[in-house]
Amino acid sequence: MLLPQIILSGITAGAVYALVALGFVLIYKGTHVIHFGLGEQVALGAYLVIILQLYVGLAFWPAIFLALVAAGLIGLLIERLVMRPIKLQPILVQIIATLAIGLGIREGVRAVMGPQAWPFEFLLSPVPQSFMGLHFALANIAIVAAALIVMAGLYVFFNHMKLGRAVLATCENPVGASLTGMPVPAILTSIWVMASVLAAIAGILLAPIVTLSPELGLIGIKGFTVAVLGGFTSLPGAVVGGVILGTIETAAGIYVSTAMKDATTYLLLALIIIVRPQGLFGQRTVNKV
Amino acid sequence: MSPRLARWLGGLALLLVWPLVASEYRVFQAGLVASTAIIALGLIIVTGVAGQVSLAQAAFAAIGAYGAALFAVRLGIPAWFGIPLAAGLAGLAGYALGFASLRLGGHYLALVTMALTAIVQVLLIHWEDLTGGALGLAVTPLSIAGKELTSGFALYYVVAPVAWGMFAAAANLLDSRLGRAFAALRQSEVAAQTLGVNALHYKALAFACSAVFGAVGGGLQALQTTFLDPHAFGIIESVVLVAIIVIGGFRSIAGAAFGSAAFVLIPEMLGAFQSYKGAVWAVLLLLMIVFFPGGLAGLGVTLARRFLPMLTRSAR
Repeated sequence: MLLPQIILSGITAGAVYALVALGFVLIYKGTHVIHFGLGEQVALGAYLVIILQLYVGLAFWPAIFLALVAAGLIGLLIERLVMRPIKLQPILVQIIATLAIGLGIREGVRAVMGPQAWPFEFLLSPVPQSFMGLHFALANIAIVAAALIVMAGLYVFFNHMKLGRAVLATCENPVGASLTGMPVPAILTSIWVMASVLAAIAGILLAPIVTLSPELGLIGIKGFTVAVLGGFTSLPGAVVGGVILGTIETAAGIYVSTAMKDATTYLLLALIIIVRPQGLFGQRTVNKV
Repeated sequence: MSPRLARWLGGLALLLVWPLVASEYRVFQAGLVASTAIIALGLIIVTGVAGQVSLAQAAFAAIGAYGAALFAVRLGIPAWFGIPLAAGLAGLAGYALGFASLRLGGHYLALVTMALTAIVQVLLIHWEDLTGGALGLAVTPLSIAGKELTSGFALYYVVAPVAWGMFAAAANLLDSRLGRAFAALRQSEVAAQTLGVNALHYKALAFACSAVFGAVGGGLQALQTTFLDPHAFGIIESVVLVAIIVIGGFRSIAGAAFGSAAFVLIPEMLGAFQSYKGAVWAVLLLLMIVFFPGGLAGLGVTLARRFLPMLTRSAR
């Protein structure tokens, strides 16, 4: 297959990975916690749409809207009920708590919806089209477009809106932010809500092109890899990292074997962390005694 | 005989005698608790004591289980030697992992160990010629003087004494210079280094210890389950093991036993709600973390401290 085709396919997957990674980066910047359950929240977002369609009888789009609201609420509950009470505990305890959140969501979904795969509606037609020798589907274009819109929204939010700048200031220096009168606890909550909604959006975009089963939660690893590539503190880094991983994966799937697609991600994750923990764009941190 | 030695020997005697008056099913369950506890014990050493988050424990258990099974199938080495051999290999892998992640702590260590588990699982599933792939691998039963040990009862008498030995070894290890170095690493890596603890070497050793325990437990458990499914050695299983030690109490070796017992017995209590066992387990884990960070073992100590003085006072 041609290189442009690989990059095109890579961008589709990469755009979604980038959304997941943005959630990780947001939470990490704000609270210095890597949320190991965010991948499961991606899967949960897609499941919420199915649940609202099947059990509440909503149409597709209202179901998506309500699912995003519900995902935000879940983010709020996670921050208020779990992460805030253990804020002063050692990092080890916080990591285990986020792992527990992921396990709970995954197993809860499996218990309610079963281990089987669910069909999920496409946003646009999945029929392959051809343009200048490149093959693509409108559904994939919709994914990239939706991801770009979300990213553009985040860019405007962080650079031109008061609340967005308050969030960045809180990430940078919580004490300083609170001294200038910013409501730091509320901002931290809003970070968890935003990350949870981002995860749900990623899940809804991803569900039609992969199989929606409890295993979808393992997408979290892709998100970690992308975030690590981008340096874990850089929002643009997460976007670039997403496209890089998407392309590498697609290439590995074509040139090596489909089985090696996921293995490539895992190897990449381990290698980058060991060889270049600051990622491609991150700053190196030095431990102060 | 020191009181401590007497307590340990008393414990061994109890372990060996109670199955004589218990049902076959309970003995089988106790065997599962024992093998799970050995795996969890390794995690207590590296995570609870040395403070290094590890999501690699399921991978080490897989090395023990698949290693011993493959030694038996391919080379005809019986599990008596196969498990120690596989444990040695796992120990080397653990040392290498600890060494490779020298500069990492906290989150990044969790990510690397998670990646390792994922890689091992991909190999188990896709290296079909060696591992039997997604279909799994039958385990050659343990035999003694030509007789195969397959009943839960017989295997209990293999697993329980080994578990006793591993717990005794862990207790001694943690009381030694090595154990104190591990604890120093957890409290402050930098401070430990200024006091002459070679952080890199000891970190790697902590991982090696956890790997050896994990592999021994995994190898023994394979004999009990008689069949290896590669899907039983993934990241989720590593997280479940972390849950086991947190629920049991991850600062003391007793936590491994408490947590494993809870893990084996809770599904039975759920009865018709079997499919919710994972969710119940996760909620339990969250409750423990938020309200009782000391786990079941710590809860016992807290309750004893709180109520024992009251009892003795009222008796006076």
